[in-house]
Amino acid sequence: MKNRPILEVKNLDVVYKTLTDEIVALKDINLQVGERESLGIIGESGCGKSTLFYAIMGYLPSNGNSTGEIFFKGENLLEKGQKEMMEYRGNRIAMVYQNPYSSLNPSLTIGYQLDEVTMFHRRFSRKEARKVSIQSLTDLHLGDAAGIVHRYPHQISGGMQQRICIAMALLCRPDLLILDEPTTALDVTTEAVILDIIGELKEKYDMSLIYISHDIGVVNKVSDRIAVMYRGEIVEKGSQNTIYQHPDHPYTRALINCMPRSGIVKEEVRLNTIQGYVTRRSAAETGCPYIARCEKKAHDCEKGYGLKENSPHHFSACTRAYAVDVPDRERTALKKVEENYDEEKNILKIENLYKYYGRQGKKIRALDGVTVSLDRNNVLGVVGESGCGKSTMGLTVSGLLKPTKGKLFFDGMDISVSWEKRTPDTLRGIQLIFQNPGRSLNPSFTIETIIGRPMKKLLGIKSKVERRKRIIAILKKVDIGEEYLNRKATHLSGGEMQRVALARAFSISPDLLICDEPTSALDVSVQASVLNLLGDLQQESGAAYIFISHDLNIINYFSDYIMVMYLGRVCEYGRKDEVVGPPYHPYTEALLSAVPDVDPSLKKRTIRLEGSPPNPTKKIGGCPFAGRCHRQIGEICINVPPPRVEFSDTHFVYCHLSKEEMQGISS
Amino acid sequence: MKTMFLLLKRNPLAVLGIVILFIWIFAAFFGPSFLSYTYTEMDMDHQMSLPGEYNHLLGTDALGRDVFARIIYGSRSILTVALMTSLFSSIAGILIGFTSGYFGGLIDMIFLRIMDIVMAIPPLVLAMVVLGILGDSTIFSLTLIVSIAYTPATARVARGALLSCKGNEYVDAARIRNESHFFIMFVEILPNTIGPVIVEITARFAYSIMMIASLGFLGVGLQPPTPDWGMMVIENKSIIKTASWTVLYPSLAIASLVIAVSLFSDFVSKVMIHEK
Amino acid sequence: MVLTLAVMSFIIFVLVEIMPGDAAQTVLGQSATPESLAALRESMGLDDPLYIRYGRWAGAFIHGDLGESLYMRGVQINTIFWRKVGHSVILALTALVFYVPLSLFFGVLAGVKAGKLTDSIISFFGLATMALPEFVSGIILITVFAIKIPLLPITSIIPIGETLWENLNILVLPALSITFVMFGYVSRMQRSSMITVMNSDYIRAAVLKGMPQGYVIFRHALKNALLPTITIIGMNMGWLFGGLIVVETLFGFPGLGSLTLSAIKTRDVPLLEASVLFITFIFVISTFITDMMYAFLNPRIRFKRGEV
Repeated sequence: MKNRPILEVKNLDVVYKTLTDEIVALKDINLQVGERESLGIIGESGCGKSTLFYAIMGYLPSNGNSTGEIFFKGENLLEKGQKEMMEYRGNRIAMVYQNPYSSLNPSLTIGYQLDEVTMFHRRFSRKEARKVSIQSLTDLHLGDAAGIVHRYPHQISGGMQQRICIAMALLCRPDLLILDEPTTALDVTTEAVILDIIGELKEKYDMSLIYISHDIGVVNKVSDRIAVMYRGEIVEKGSQNTIYQHPDHPYTRALINCMPRSGIVKEEVRLNTIQGYVTRRSAAETGCPYIARCEKKAHDCEKGYGLKENSPHHFSACTRAYAVDVPDRERTALKKVEENYDEEKNILKIENLYKYYGRQGKKIRALDGVTVSLDRNNVLGVVGESGCGKSTMGLTVSGLLKPTKGKLFFDGMDISVSWEKRTPDTLRGIQLIFQNPGRSLNPSFTIETIIGRPMKKLLGIKSKVERRKRIIAILKKVDIGEEYLNRKATHLSGGEMQRVALARAFSISPDLLICDEPTSALDVSVQASVLNLLGDLQQESGAAYIFISHDLNIINYFSDYIMVMYLGRVCEYGRKDEVVGPPYHPYTEALLSAVPDVDPSLKKRTIRLEGSPPNPTKKIGGCPFAGRCHRQIGEICINVPPPRVEFSDTHFVYCHLSKEEMQGISS
Repeated sequence: MKTMFLLLKRNPLAVLGIVILFIWIFAAFFGPSFLSYTYTEMDMDHQMSLPGEYNHLLGTDALGRDVFARIIYGSRSILTVALMTSLFSSIAGILIGFTSGYFGGLIDMIFLRIMDIVMAIPPLVLAMVVLGILGDSTIFSLTLIVSIAYTPATARVARGALLSCKGNEYVDAARIRNESHFFIMFVEILPNTIGPVIVEITARFAYSIMMIASLGFLGVGLQPPTPDWGMMVIENKSIIKTASWTVLYPSLAIASLVIAVSLFSDFVSKVMIHEK
Repeated sequence: MVLTLAVMSFIIFVLVEIMPGDAAQTVLGQSATPESLAALRESMGLDDPLYIRYGRWAGAFIHGDLGESLYMRGVQINTIFWRKVGHSVILALTALVFYVPLSLFFGVLAGVKAGKLTDSIISFFGLATMALPEFVSGIILITVFAIKIPLLPITSIIPIGETLWENLNILVLPALSITFVMFGYVSRMQRSSMITVMNSDYIRAAVLKGMPQGYVIFRHALKNALLPTITIIGMNMGWLFGGLIVVETLFGFPGLGSLTLSAIKTRDVPLLEASVLFITFIFVISTFITDMMYAFLNPRIRFKRGEV
């Protein structure tokens, strides 16, 4: 606490009434935010982060009821009516939301939506308001602010929309700014720019900040103090270094160890997992919210449960994070390096692959000449921002899309066709894992049907008894009990569903598995267990993986080879260690610099990439990245396709920079 | 089941609707055996008698026929035709809408265009013209025409329901294990569209009752002497001033049935939303 | 649109032409001799192939010649048709003036008060009126406002020698029964789109910007919530201007709807063709206008995406 608190939450409870029962969303929350202080709140989905701030703003759904006290500059907000709350909302306390596009009114111009804030709270005339609005946009480094005010939200890119939302929140110079996952929907380079701007504005405007996120790395960038929430409670509070280095609560420790982070690779260590998943909390439940999943629980550990200041400025509800009476799990490597690599054999070759969408004239170049190959037992990580063609590549290999040009070879066989023309053995050999397990398992089918159908169709196992035997065996491998056989997919949690999807894929022994963002719809604690499972299944089956992700931390943890893509083209390819260290392509460099670090001591300088990728319908003569590149060397980048620069047999980059120049870039 | 009860408890109007609907179904099945008159019997001594007089619960019409008996008998034809229509148009709509939406491209465009054209004629006008052309309507022709008139609308709903599921990855997963189109459409997708489809069938049931009553009213519905609620209204409209019951009670019969079905259908859609 | 109309006109022509019953027979009656029938068929061109007759009919139609009525021998359809259309238009406009403001207001109210008693009452009323066929609500209205309280005429017949303008009171009950049907339809639509909009992120953002409730509803919510309702109103325009057969029949109102019904009953082929085609035409036009309106009111369509 730097000084007297701006916001003080005392014993706040929020309960939702549903048709059948009561659900506790927040329980006994105590929280203080000082002047000019920045507090970060982290937690998995469903832990009540957002509810907390809607409770502060007095904006709970009609079935929600809050009790306790919320003091804002000494006034209890819970005692205020809707009319009185208007004075605070947008004026003294402002919010920025996760999804900028849906938070802006589609039928009003940007200018109108900005102006009304000061017109109401400051009683400005339209003209004065407009002047302030334009100034505010300029403060957020939005060029052409005078032009933007006449536009509608749909005419503006996501990153700019979020900057507009921030500008809007800052119009009345609020005392407290609440940001609710403001960068989660954005690409990592855009996220880096926004986080930079937020840090800058905090200093400039002398305001307090609350930053909510599921990603501790993001919170580290803007907040020095962090609160960890779990199932409606704050379980631990402290400085970012304390939270990272000396967590007291077993949940905090486990959560951090779940996260793929820099320096952690599968060759060295398995990710920590937390058993089970976040469940709803009923009104009857008392005691420690984490006990059901806790590794460090002891028979009497709930006795002293409750948030206490155990060391100065470090609060925790439990101190058993490093308890010795329950030993830590042994940490082994996920990938055994001593594996016999003589058996390595090429499984997939992609040669000069092109995929265009749309019709003549408005062609979108999703893949613009990609060449890569992949061996058995290896993981090819494909990374890039949205629209770079990484998913299209996965879909083309799987057969769901037919290539426009170029060749695909699977185990030596030409498979440059779509699925109808592939042999059953190819269809069996290439399996696909989707991002959203809820959508990839048919909600009307039982688990048995979901896994059994491919067996019947692609392995030709006609006997139901035989199928059931195999299904039970594979379910065991993915750690799902036999009692799930007759359950519908909708009754499973996200992690369980993804496990069933893996069981479905591995039930027919594939040679190549394409994973398209397989963990990005899951919570961190669940993500780790799915990654571990993927690794184990590979050890056992020797299948090759194409692992598509936007998250460099995961890619770095899980891949053997990495391919960096931008606008349908390969920028850089190489062994994992070759790609994540210099020399690199300027885009790789920018991406790596933008990745938020879980470890707060790793402060690095981010490279600000301005603008957004060029229109994919236009044909690009030179390097697609030239327009945003911080190392652009002139006309040649725009007009001439970049040459392939090789650093080793396995490592190459497409760039106009010379080998020496690239080698000169330090990390 | 438990949530169903709780939902019912919260929607007393839905309970009312379901009760009225059951009363009508009961009346259609067993009502006639409790009646002291048939629908053609003319009580020559008591024409246009007031409700309650001479053992005529709801009075008699200009020919001395018992209004109550005619209403009870009339419930049979309207319920039968409406039920069959809503089923047929839904089945046809699902077949057409699914094929169109699933294959997309040119097939979809042609289907949509045809549906647009058929929908450009108001369903009532379409049914009226065709029934007028065919002459004397029977239960069969009435069912057929009303089903056809409503098929484009149900096809659109089915198509929309399919499209909302088609993007799901379980469809992709089925494709790359080489499932047949039929399997994907009717085994993978259909069960997941059942919510909107059931809502559509119940809503269509209400619309069918409206349309059949209106056709009867326009004189192109079932032919006399079959009692038809709509027809009873128009037959007696000229004596509305002197014998308003002959018009009012059949109207109220239509109103109660149609409102009951709508309340029921409204409840079904609420249940479906809740299921999600 | 033109294509739809062309195809429609052909379908209607074929549909009506295959009606059982011979036009010549209809004209001459049962006592006609075969010779006179043949002569008449010849002079009416009934023996030509279907497509030639269609061409002749469509050609005349485009030039504004609707042909001659079969039932009312020697009467040009043009002379009666447009007067009836005029009556229908006036009735439709009256109904519009009644129901649009009413249903929008109550729809918005129910949407804002969703889940409360006000909403339940409006929603039930809407559900009930929407479900009722027009003649049922008409009969109820007649019973109340013409029989129990004799305020308004039971029928809407214009006395011979007078015009509609001298009998404006005959419009009230038909327009009210249309209002009954449309009220439920439109207000429920308005309610549900209002609820969707009020639950959207941008309304939450507007409220948490500190904007007053009334302002949020009128400035932020209404414009977006009206869009789907406008589509519904527009799509029903065709029905309103050309499909009021039931209402017109119930009240005996001399409009396009009752004209169509009598054309069916009397098997007056040219008249039926003219009116059904006209009704379809209105349907197609109103759908087209609705699409245009929608595009104009929706900035997402009006301004194509163009990033800065």
